[in-house]
Amino acid sequence: MLDSTLLDFVMEERNKSAPGRDLSFVVGSEVTIRQDPWWWLVVAVAAIIVLLVMLLPVPFREIVIFARDGILVTIVVTVTSYFLIIIVGLLGGLGRLSQNKLIFGISSLYVEIVRGIPLLVQLLGWYLASPVIIRNLGDWLNLQPLIEYRANPIITAIIAITVCYGAYMSEIVRSGIQSVPKGQMEAARSLGMSHFQAMRHVVLPQAFRVILPPMGNEFIALLKDSSLVSVVAVGDLTRRGREFMAAHFNPIETWLMVALLYLIMTIVAARVVSYIEKRSKYERY
Amino acid sequence: MSRPIIQIKDIKKRFGRVEALRGVSLDVNEGEVVVIVGPSGSGKSTLLRCINRLEEYEEGTIIVDGMTLDNTSNINAIRREVGIVFQSFNLFAHLTAMQNLMLAQCIVRKRSRKEAEEIAQALLAKVGIPEKAKAHPAQLSGGQQQRVAIARALAMNPKVMLFDEPTSALDPEMIKEVLDVMTSLAKEGMTMLVVSHEMGFARAAAQRVIFMDEGLIIEQATPHDFFKNPKEERTRLFLSKILHL
Repeated sequence: MLDSTLLDFVMEERNKSAPGRDLSFVVGSEVTIRQDPWWWLVVAVAAIIVLLVMLLPVPFREIVIFARDGILVTIVVTVTSYFLIIIVGLLGGLGRLSQNKLIFGISSLYVEIVRGIPLLVQLLGWYLASPVIIRNLGDWLNLQPLIEYRANPIITAIIAITVCYGAYMSEIVRSGIQSVPKGQMEAARSLGMSHFQAMRHVVLPQAFRVILPPMGNEFIALLKDSSLVSVVAVGDLTRRGREFMAAHFNPIETWLMVALLYLIMTIVAARVVSYIEKRSKYERY
Repeated sequence: MSRPIIQIKDIKKRFGRVEALRGVSLDVNEGEVVVIVGPSGSGKSTLLRCINRLEEYEEGTIIVDGMTLDNTSNINAIRREVGIVFQSFNLFAHLTAMQNLMLAQCIVRKRSRKEAEEIAQALLAKVGIPEKAKAHPAQLSGGQQQRVAIARALAMNPKVMLFDEPTSALDPEMIKEVLDVMTSLAKEGMTMLVVSHEMGFARAAAQRVIFMDEGLIIEQATPHDFFKNPKEERTRLFLSKILHL
């Protein structure tokens, strides 16, 4: 009896500290600079960028103005790919857990092959090799649109990144689903839910909380790896930096500013991930 | 008390090379409370899990409320009528007690949120923890979690309740609160099939006690006869071991 009285007491204390609020979000529900001191790093890096631009407009202000469309391209490529990667990862992860041998085989083969090839090689393959294959196919089938096919750099880059990162995301999703105890699925099924309903309402919401940190890591890694698309004619931040340096020949300033711009994006992303993590925490067994 | 609501005929089930059930037949009448005892590995939990097809079985038939369990589509229909309570509670960890009770009502029974919430609140009151509606499972004691789990199963208005060692994972002082809920359920006329070693519960609430060993039903009798004069040697040996504890 002592145990449960103690527990009641603890619960009461908790209710006092957060009256009338949904308990699921009590932990870390208000993340401010006070609670997440890493925001100061964001402020510091932003201040350095602003100071450099204001105090030394030549070349720093010029670099930022020259590369601003590159920043946009980097963000667009990263966010679009990430959205698609989550879809591929969800399908791949479920496929890796499928009872169906064909689905399991295909998704496993996909993961194993793609993980074994460097992203840069995959990008070059999609951009340089796949258009040739498509044009040859067009010749063979005598289809005019295929014969005249030209690869769109941004779309090709997004496809290549999605295929590559989707394999890693599949493994993250798989491990997340496997981390949810088997009894959760059994309990849901025993209440008459279908497999799909149980996945959607019981297993995936719990898996999601487990895989949030690695998913956040993937986003930040993706933001950085997106610089690889500069080799396949996509005008992202890195490529624009190289173009600026070639015209003005000031490598130190150029790469310092490009590095700072990547840094501000990644540390802001890291803070957002950490905020989402804290918000979605709940007490587990 | 006359109509059999569960009819099990000659069920056989194997895990690899181990024969878990070697031909079990059992009828449970409407409103009857049956307690199954037996050593671990005797197949009692497996039998229970076969009734709502959490386990597949190789041979035999199970008919629940006139519906035959087979490989076709009616499995979710049967599961709706058969509630099960697990040893490890298996409450949905990301939901509050209230949400645990409401989820399946809304998506399986298609009840409105308001209706589901009213039913859930009434059931939490019935199992004695109306004030825990907003608590998450991890904030509840084992006994409270198991009572929420019973309420969650009851929310679906099942015709039969299965209990798979409901008190085995509980601290001793919490066993009573769960057994009290089960006893009052039995008094209300719920059909119950209980795997448990709580002999006090078997004596107080059961109409029939079944002893299983090595995948077979060895003996069944009223609680009085079962504990006073068991017929089989193996039953006597088993009882002598557990009653000394």
